Amino acid sequence: MSFDIVPFEQSHLGDVIDLITLHDEDDGEAAEYDLKGDVEDHWVALVDGSPVGISGYRKVPSTDGTAYLSWTYVHPNHTNQGIGRSILNYVIGESRSSGSNKMFVKVSNYDDGSNVYQFGMKLYESAGFREELTNLDFYDVGEDQIILGMELDTSRSDPTEVKDERPTIRFDGIFNIAETEGAYTFSWNVQKNPLFGPRSFTVQDLYTGLRAVNEDGGRIVFLTFPSNLPLVHKPLQEAGFKYVGSLKNYFELGIDEMHFVHRMET
Amino acid sequence: MIPIRDENPNNETPFITYGLLGLNVLVWIFVQGAGFGTSLESSICEYGFISQDLFGTSGAAVCPPSSTPPALSLFSSMFMHGGWMHLLGNMLFLWVFGDNVEDSMGHLRFLVFYLIGGVIAALSQGFADPQSGIPMVGASGAIGCVMGGYLMLYPKVKVTIAVFFFILFWTFRVPAYLMLGYWIGVQLLSGLATSTAGGGVAFWAHFGGFVGGCILVYFFKDKELLANHRYYGWSDTRAEESIWDDPRNRQ
Repeated sequence: MSFDIVPFEQSHLGDVIDLITLHDEDDGEAAEYDLKGDVEDHWVALVDGSPVGISGYRKVPSTDGTAYLSWTYVHPNHTNQGIGRSILNYVIGESRSSGSNKMFVKVSNYDDGSNVYQFGMKLYESAGFREELTNLDFYDVGEDQIILGMELDTSRSDPTEVKDERPTIRFDGIFNIAETEGAYTFSWNVQKNPLFGPRSFTVQDLYTGLRAVNEDGGRIVFLTFPSNLPLVHKPLQEAGFKYVGSLKNYFELGIDEMHFVHRMET
Repeated sequence: MIPIRDENPNNETPFITYGLLGLNVLVWIFVQGAGFGTSLESSICEYGFISQDLFGTSGAAVCPPSSTPPALSLFSSMFMHGGWMHLLGNMLFLWVFGDNVEDSMGHLRFLVFYLIGGVIAALSQGFADPQSGIPMVGASGAIGCVMGGYLMLYPKVKVTIAVFFFILFWTFRVPAYLMLGYWIGVQLLSGLATSTAGGGVAFWAHFGGFVGGCILVYFFKDKELLANHRYYGWSDTRAEESIWDDPRNRQ
């Protein structure tokens, strides 16, 4: 079957949301909100002028060329026709030529009987993605988030030394992670080091956040930090966080994104 | 044997250590005339700590009566020095050890720790020889307190020391407990072997300040700051992130 890959336009939105909703209603809702605001770096596969596939990427701010694969779906009637593989490879190529060094994709292992998870994993792995970490029970109990990564610039080599940073980190809020049941994360900011008072990331900050999540009925807390912040580790460990894994070279070459989890006591 | 540097990076800029270094140098230049002229002697007599003035004891006086109250001289004496080498030596020790002790307790607490250490040191010397009329000056008692605190906080940190033999010198890297242990041992033995009557180095001030620092640091150290310090304590130094190597700390 012949198809064309063209840049996404707002006129495609309705059809695209419909085809995503056929797979996952929550994703359809979230994609509508996301794509309404920004269609840049997204493409659709057209068959007879109608969108039957969508993919794209989003650059991650404050990183050295890291991107996340965005909504990638093919209409159920057009699977196994090479459309998914083609549009995915197209997006990876576009992202690479726009300067991306590394691309990640988040996958749920939820299986509604249609084998969409196994199908997606096979597709991503054949494109070159490799599993980097799994956030167990991320979306819901028993529904994990798997993050796969792929180096787009394979000529990069690890730097000999990465400079540690010791900023004063302060939490300023908690929020429920979109598309999850009871999974929370904390928002935090970096302050100028004060002359007096607490000057470092503390376990008390974590307890404050955990108490707030508990009061909100949260089930689990996920936090991520750059790997060059040595001050975060002891407080995280003291507060009962567990290390999940790292997304290699997420922020820049040699600076990974470390993932931590804390399960609320029931 | 003098310390040149330690392998103990700071988490924070040591403002108070820098301030104390600057203040000592400024006092040396502007109050003590950088050791030239009569300012040196007059400043030592005026601002130095004299045991017999504080304790009201009688003995041979070497200075004319001072207008500085004895209680105040406990503080003022720690910013006076007897010569260039005295100043430079003390400032080197403060430079090497002060920053990390400040890092363990925060700026304001460190300032108070330093000043109390200086007072303890002066009183130690005073109690060792209450009749002395010889003025005692120097930051070394307060710095001894800093060194005592350092020993308790960072005993295994590697300190590079220089050992001189006439015009030759060698450098070695030794654990802080060896360097500081040797130093306090020398102070104690010298204090026991030396008469205080003739002046010279105030070994009992060094010893008292050091012991005071070892004790005071327990009340002044900030657990939160030290929880983040890579080289705190006797355990082998490890990268912070290595705590996640323990399977119990992993998902």
